[in-house]
This record gives sequence, C-alpha cells and structure tokens, in this order.
Amino acid sequence: MTTVDRFWRVFAREVQAAVRTRSFLALTLVTGVAIFGVATAGGGPAGGYVPTVVDVLVVVEILVPTLAFAVGYRAMADPIARGELDVMETYPLPTWGYVGGTYAGRAVVLMAVVGVPLAALGVHVAMTAGPETSVFASHRGVDSPLLYLRFLALTLLYGLVSLSLVVLLSVIAGSRSRALVLALAGGLVLTVGGDVAVFAALDGGLLTSDSLGGALAVTPAGAYRGLVFDQVLYVAVPTRSSFVSGWLATTALVGWWVATLAGAAAVAHLR
Amino acid sequence: MTADPSLSTDDLTKSYGDVIALDSVSLDVPASAVTGFVGPNGSGKTTLLELLLGIERPTLGTVEYNGPEAVRRFGYLPQQPTFRPGFTVAETAAFYAGLVNDDPDRLLDTVGLAAVADRPVTGLSGGMRRLLGIAQALAADPPVVVLDEPASGLDPAMSERIFEVIEAIAAEGRTVVLSSHDLPLVERTADYLAVLESGEVRATGSPASLRERTGGPLHETFTSLLAGETSVVTGGSDE
Repeated sequence: MTTVDRFWRVFAREVQAAVRTRSFLALTLVTGVAIFGVATAGGGPAGGYVPTVVDVLVVVEILVPTLAFAVGYRAMADPIARGELDVMETYPLPTWGYVGGTYAGRAVVLMAVVGVPLAALGVHVAMTAGPETSVFASHRGVDSPLLYLRFLALTLLYGLVSLSLVVLLSVIAGSRSRALVLALAGGLVLTVGGDVAVFAALDGGLLTSDSLGGALAVTPAGAYRGLVFDQVLYVAVPTRSSFVSGWLATTALVGWWVATLAGAAAVAHLR
Repeated sequence: MTADPSLSTDDLTKSYGDVIALDSVSLDVPASAVTGFVGPNGSGKTTLLELLLGIERPTLGTVEYNGPEAVRRFGYLPQQPTFRPGFTVAETAAFYAGLVNDDPDRLLDTVGLAAVADRPVTGLSGGMRRLLGIAQALAADPPVVVLDEPASGLDPAMSERIFEVIEAIAAEGRTVVLSSHDLPLVERTADYLAVLESGEVRATGSPASLRERTGGPLHETFTSLLAGETSVVTGGSDE
C-alpha cells in the first residue's frame, strides 16, 4: 500500500461524508436558484452565452468564495479539534497526504455545488437562446458554447483557489469557532480585499495606471475577473483588448492555488 | 528500568513559553511490558506521551525508538477520542484499517465491538468510543501502543473492561504505555510505573517496589511521593 492509496482513502471518506450531508444538496439548490434568478432577471439566457456570463459574473465572483468557505471552513479545523490529525501522525501517511486528500474530497463537493448550477444554466441558454449561439466558434466576434465552457472552467479554477485558501485558514484556526471567524475574514479579503488594496495603492501613488492591470492580475479575484474578460467576454467583442495580462493572471491563480495548499500542509505538519 | 527498552528518553524537556511542561526526563520504556505514567493533573503525563509518539517536538533532549521496524510503530489512543460523525463503527474501523491494509473485523473483535458494528459513532457511549479508539490504535499491529487516560470518566465496570482489553493486547507481546488516575487498575495492569509531578519524574519502578516504600497500597505511595517525602523518593528510586 502506497501513500497515494492512503491519499485516496482520505479523499473517498470526504466524498462519502459529503454525499451523506444533505445540507450540501440544499446549498447546490440555493446556488442554482441564485444564479438562475440573476441570469433571468438580466435577460442574458435569451441573448446567448456571453450576455449570460455578463449577467452572472459579479454574483459568481462573490458566490464562489462564499461557497468555498461554506464547504471548507471546517475541513481541517474539525480533525484538529477531534485529535484526528494527531492520531494520523502515527499512520504511514504524511501530513500533506491527509491535507491533500481532505482538500481533494472537499474540492469535488465544491465543484458539484458550483458546477452543476452553472452547467444547468448553460443548458438553459442552449435551449432558450437563438440558433447563432449553437456554433462552436473558432474566431473572435461570435457567441459560442465554447466561451461558456471557458467561463465554467475558469470559475471552477477560481473555486479551487478559494478552497485552498479556506483549507489553509482552517488549519491555522484549529477549532470550529476560530475557523468560522477566519473564514469570514478570509472571504472578505478574497472578494474585496485585493481590489481595495490595489486601489488604495493606486490612490497612494504606489501604483500607476500603467501597473494597475498587473497589480489586479495578481489578486485571486482580479486574476479570475481578468481571465473571464480576456478569454470569454472580449473574445466576442473584437474591438476590445484585455485589461490584465492573461499569462500573469493564470500564473497568479495557479500560484495562489499551489502556495496556499502547500502552506496548509506545512502549517498542519508544524502544529 | 530494564536492559531491553522499546523507548528511551534522554533529558527530555518541553516548555511552552515560560511554562515548563516536562523537565529533563530520562527514562526507559521496557519492551513487551505495560508501563504506566501516574501523577496529578498537569504533571506532564500527556506531554510525555505526545513526545514519545513524536506528535510534539521536544524543546530539549531526545526520544529514541529501539523497537522493531513496522509499518506503524505506534498505536495511539488520545485522551478524548472522537470520530468523524456520519459514519458507523464498522465504517470508521474500515477507514483506519484501510490506511494500513488491516482487517477491520479483526480490530472490532479484539475490543469486543463487533456487535455494535452498524451503530453510528455518534451513538456510542464514552466507554465504547474508547474501545473503538483502542481498535484504531491496534491497526497494523504496532509494536508500541500508547494510551492516554484510557478509562478516565468511565464507570467502574467499563473501566474494568477497558483494562481487560489492555491486558489482553499486552499479553500478545506489545509494549503498552499508558497514563491513568485509576491507581488500583494501573497497579494491577502495569509492570512498571513512573510517577510524575510538575513535569518531573519523582520515582520509577514496579508497582510492588513502589508499594514497599510505604508498606501500604499504591495510592499511599503516590500520595507520599507527591507530598514531597524526598526520602522515600531517593531511597528507592530506580533512576
């Protein structure tokens, strides 16, 4: 039996626990209602995929970290409080394997909670929008299901990054009550903190309008938003160009993902 | 204590800021025997167990493991074992057993929980939770089993049952290290004792040798040691 086998054991238990937790099903339904409500109110689904993304982007940008915190804030705080992490140290499973397995299991839950409603919205668009949206466009200026798939993929990546930050905070908290407080603080930092910091730096002269795009691209929310504009919205609008560097935003998102997960494993190991 | 220790500590010290939880503890934990750590609350028993397990890192000093190589060197029962809600006893045992390719039914049989295998872990009594914790500690058949207050807060009958299980697993040749306040049961079960107070080891020896120091039952020895009767301590200590 290898460390990878043990990793999958932890992963499978997380998924199994989630399947038995009805509140996650309720969370998925509520998310669906919220997303469909916003999209329908904006009229996007009748217009196509890109108008739908325009309608839901702001809500999704806030909703995804919020859902990540709901799914993950107890992920490591509970095992630490239960003493399970101490017991696990006596098993031939490195701390990173336990943290990673727990994270991966919760990630599946989050992907379902976020992905299912968004995928359903995509299907809804396919059934309600005009026939011109049904083509898989290979050139700019045309709405396409491919653009919506990009939006879905970027949103799921943003969810994974949000969840890894939540798991890090959960390890640091070490108890359910502290985890809740840290999760709320982390949610605020993730959703508005980055933008506020960047604009404060701009106001204070630390940034210029030339470096604004780069600064926005290194915050998780800014990177996600920038990539959605670059890879989804502006693709359908040939005259517009991205306000952040695509490679910088991608690097930043992946960097946040890897750094926070590695941080969670390191903090758990050093506890 | 003996020439064949499973674990040896040398000047083991643990402090949290200005608070010294354990102060220069040097002792041997004999192999294939039951060693009991006794002492008042806050004396450093749990800290010593966690240092032996490697869960805590010492501020100073070392812990040396001299036992056989194994997939899992230590089994561990924490002081208040709790398990992930939403799972049954069988599923919980299967999770831990699955981490080391062991048979969960064997583990539950060993501690006598096979009859409640389908019960949710949240529906277990405190004693049954301890037994499930011991079952988990036995996964992969570790050569050393560490039990932190295995019977604290339990009724006498359940405490008796827990110690019977401990005696059974020790009889299979394992090294068992435990902490407890239940002196009669510890006296009956342990082959060696270490009396701790204020982070220091006051005395070590077999229950019989410690009892001889006061001529009465072990709790009298315990009380006299902690009352600072240094003549008793220095007169017969094995250290």
